Amino acid sequence: MTKSDNLARIIIGCKAGSAESFSELVDIYASRFYGYFYRLTGNNEVSNDLLSELFVKLVEKISSYKGGSFESWLFKVASNIFHDYLRGKQRRKKLLEVRKKQLESRKQEVKKSDSERVDKLQIQLEKLDADMRELIMLRFYSQLKLKEIAEMRSEPIGTTLSRLHRGLKRLRELMER
Amino acid sequence: MNGQNEENLKELFERFAGAEQAERAVEDFRKAEQIFLEYPAPAPDDGLITDIKSEIAEAILPRQVNVFRRISYKTAVVAAAAIVIAAISVKLLEKGGGGPERVAASMIPEALWDSDDISADYVELAAFTAEIEQIEGEVLTLELGENGGNGDTAVSELEMELIAINSDFWKG
Repeated sequence: MTKSDNLARIIIGCKAGSAESFSELVDIYASRFYGYFYRLTGNNEVSNDLLSELFVKLVEKISSYKGGSFESWLFKVASNIFHDYLRGKQRRKKLLEVRKKQLESRKQEVKKSDSERVDKLQIQLEKLDADMRELIMLRFYSQLKLKEIAEMRSEPIGTTLSRLHRGLKRLRELMER
Repeated sequence: MNGQNEENLKELFERFAGAEQAERAVEDFRKAEQIFLEYPAPAPDDGLITDIKSEIAEAILPRQVNVFRRISYKTAVVAAAAIVIAAISVKLLEKGGGGPERVAASMIPEALWDSDDISADYVELAAFTAEIEQIEGEVLTLELGENGGNGDTAVSELEMELIAINSDFWKG
């Protein structure tokens, strides 16, 4: 059985509500999506939450998958989850500003525990703007072709290509310092 | 991270830039890819994977119950509709069997209509009609005073006779 046949079989199982098929999907994609979320957030706890949310959402949304590249569709779902998280983070940030003094010490602790875990790549990635970082993550974790990434972002392939090139060049410069 | 390498990056870049520039861009891509290989992201731990699988199982259960509920409701609705349709069909069939005769029966004496002897019925009908016509003629004559004597009483008698005949006719 080819890889795509196997994936098609698993998707049919998921649509029929088979927990085993969903487990197979988790086994196939958990590492890649964890890496994707981790490199976007730089935080293990948040990545854990986002990964769980992705797969639980998959149970709700699998019936809306009508064919085409499954990985592209799944990364679109993951990207939406990440953006929801960012919006929530923005809201939380506003709340934090109001209670800044109360939370200041706690914030410092969180920062410290995160910085203990992050590697050099993570530190440099955070220097890129959010959209560029997301584009690079899509490129390296989704395994999608540039054409598919451009379609997913609803932009011409030339725009995706030049933006990605700029981001990677900048990342390379940062890493070589 | 191999899938994206299947496409020809250089060819893609050459659509937007010169050959030399495309070459450099491909090199940037390769080096960046190398960085990602040197710094792999942490993997999710086994506990997380187990938790996710449990969460999925919990999320599937209510959906299956809902699907079963939906199927049950649909079956109940279809069964009820079938019963109603069957009941209406039986009623219509019952009505359909006696309809036209009931309409005719309201116009023609039932005994006459039910009779199998058509020629005898026609003769009887003709006799009644002739008798009525004769009485009508007599009434008309009396009314015009052509017959002399106590015309009013005679007319009343004849009218009574006509009503009785008419009534007998319709009774069959």
